[in-house]
Amino acid sequence: MSLIDTRDLYKIYQVGDVEVKALNGVSIAIEKGEFVAVMGPSGSGKSTFMNILGCLDKPTCGTYILDGIDVTATDLSKLAGVRNRKIGFVFQGFNLIKRTTAIENVELPMIYNHTPAAQRHKKAMEALEAVGLAQRAYHLPNQLSGGQQQRVAIARSLVCDAPIIFADEPTGNLDTKMSIEVMDLFTRLNKEMGKTIILITHEPDIAQYATRLIKFKDGQKMSDEIQTPTAAKPASMEGL
Amino acid sequence: MIDSFLAVFKISLKAIFANKMRAALTSLGIIIGVAAVITVLAVGSATKKSIADRFSNMGTNIIFLRQPWDLDESISSPKDVTMDDVVAIREVEGVSAAAPYIQTSFDVKYKNTSVSLSALATDTDIFKAYDWSVDKGRSFTEKEIASYAQVMVIGATAAQTIFGDVDPLNKTVVLSNIPFTVVGVTKKTGSSGFGFNIDEGALIPYTTGKVKLNSGWQSSNRRALDRVVIKVEDFNKIENTKVDIQNTVRNTHHIHPLGKDDFQLDDFASFVEQAKSTATTMSLFLGIIGAVSLIVGGIGVMNIMLVSVTERTREIGIRMAIGATSWNIRLQFLVESVTLSCMGGLIGIVLGVIFTLFVAKYMSLSAQLSVWAIVVSAGFSAATGIFFGYYPAYKASKLTPIDALRYE
Ligand SMILES: Nc1ncnc2c1ncn2[C@@H]1O[C@H](COP(=O)(O)OP(=O)(O)OP(=O)(O)O)[C@@H](O)[C@H]1O
Ligand SMILES: [Mg+2]
Repeated sequence: MSLIDTRDLYKIYQVGDVEVKALNGVSIAIEKGEFVAVMGPSGSGKSTFMNILGCLDKPTCGTYILDGIDVTATDLSKLAGVRNRKIGFVFQGFNLIKRTTAIENVELPMIYNHTPAAQRHKKAMEALEAVGLAQRAYHLPNQLSGGQQQRVAIARSLVCDAPIIFADEPTGNLDTKMSIEVMDLFTRLNKEMGKTIILITHEPDIAQYATRLIKFKDGQKMSDEIQTPTAAKPASMEGL
Repeated sequence: MIDSFLAVFKISLKAIFANKMRAALTSLGIIIGVAAVITVLAVGSATKKSIADRFSNMGTNIIFLRQPWDLDESISSPKDVTMDDVVAIREVEGVSAAAPYIQTSFDVKYKNTSVSLSALATDTDIFKAYDWSVDKGRSFTEKEIASYAQVMVIGATAAQTIFGDVDPLNKTVVLSNIPFTVVGVTKKTGSSGFGFNIDEGALIPYTTGKVKLNSGWQSSNRRALDRVVIKVEDFNKIENTKVDIQNTVRNTHHIHPLGKDDFQLDDFASFVEQAKSTATTMSLFLGIIGAVSLIVGGIGVMNIMLVSVTERTREIGIRMAIGATSWNIRLQFLVESVTLSCMGGLIGIVLGVIFTLFVAKYMSLSAQLSVWAIVVSAGFSAATGIFFGYYPAYKASKLTPIDALRYE
């Protein structure tokens, strides 16, 4: 059984009397440990697809089985636990909570699964170390560079040991150097920790890091190929 | 679980302190409301107590018998209140004392001092009626009363004013050119009674007052008394005793069974009740103003919480994306509004206490800060936070994660 299994997903928005088919029958299966890049023109439904996969949104119709759970049959508000334990999110705009420090942001998911304070702190620190930001733990988001903020967000997605990471254009706001840092990190998470990563990007260079490339167009899957990650360098934390 | 709650609490505090000015202004309504409620309750109960104290000095189980000032014209030959009534009333069951009462004032001369003094022409039952007692010397004797003796029992403060350090006993003072011998000094009561203050007054036999000093309203009638002061044994039976007294007096006045009373009986129970109920109405009214201000404050909290939910929609989305349940979100905003209103409540309590002490000091009321009022206002401000915070919190928790995240 696949980790992620979608059958004929449709997402239809009614805007006035215009019907927008953001997803028009998407069936995709993703196995544990894959590193999938999703590409496609703007408006082709990539984000819509990922939001459904991440249990943030519901499809209009179709089924989605996540790790054996029929997510489409469950109310979104009941999926908080699933989002907490199985899924980590990384967004283009980082989406850190601005008033709180890096470590507090990383601790947040553990507050919602009732991890004791001491353990929360320890695991958050470990996650920050894993992304090379231990010495910035007590900085506020606006005291960090874009790449650093994104790494905090990645640390946050790791901290509950979620097996899947969804990243919607994680390098969209970053320059080339920072993008490489972040992509190296993803590669490492995929290879060393066995995380399943699904990543949306517009840049072919970034897509090159993945082991599989899915292309979208007009709400449908255009192509779906296994590839050898060419850009992936030997992962090394020292470079970060 | 506790850890998580503490964490949520910390998050809420941070959110509140991120907007100090706003938090302060929002709490203001609650602060004013709570301070008002505490002050009003405290001052209200102090007023009530001071009314009660003042009346209890002359006793609420006192009844006055007197001729009405506006006597019904249809009564052809009204009888004056006399010692016959006093004697008859003393026999009524439930009456513990009945004393004649004629109040006058005189210039009292002793050597070179002359002091204006209030004097009560009465007999010894007045001590029982008003719980007065003789400190030095003695009271009048039956014989002195019967013989129009020129004797006087003087109040403690009056004795001090007239005699200074000299022992007043057996000294002679002059009232309207008639010499009186001081036979006793009363014990200081320390309270100004109603109408007559014994500490600053003097007592003389009613016979002497009536005959030799010609005092009283009905000076033409040598037997007429101004009033009779009656003390009943049991305050709870005052109404029954009053009826018995009424029948007794009708009897001594020979009133026809169908005739109207030519006298009236006043008791203070109803008077005190009325004064107290006025004070209660006053505090109720002011309390309502306080409560309204609390509600307005609560609406202010609600308003700010709604703004806060809107402002932080994206934050709510982030929290939901990383695993916050609807309940977590609701709890966070509820804790925030309760914290906000409780901080207001706390400041309000402090202000209310200060204000009460201030009012108590400048209005010379004994401060009656009730723990009860403080507990209730604290509870009420927390309840305000929950009540007015619930809707914004509910609204926040009902967002779907994607709508919250996409919110601009
Ligand atoms: N809430 C919405 N209401 C109406 N239409 C929507 C809504 N969300 C998305 N759409 C439409 O659905 C389509 C797919 O949008 P989506 O965000 O998935 O595109 P995308 O592939 O992520 O694009 P981009 O690369 O620009 O991020 C678009 O045509 C968009 O206009
Ligand atoms: Mg998109």
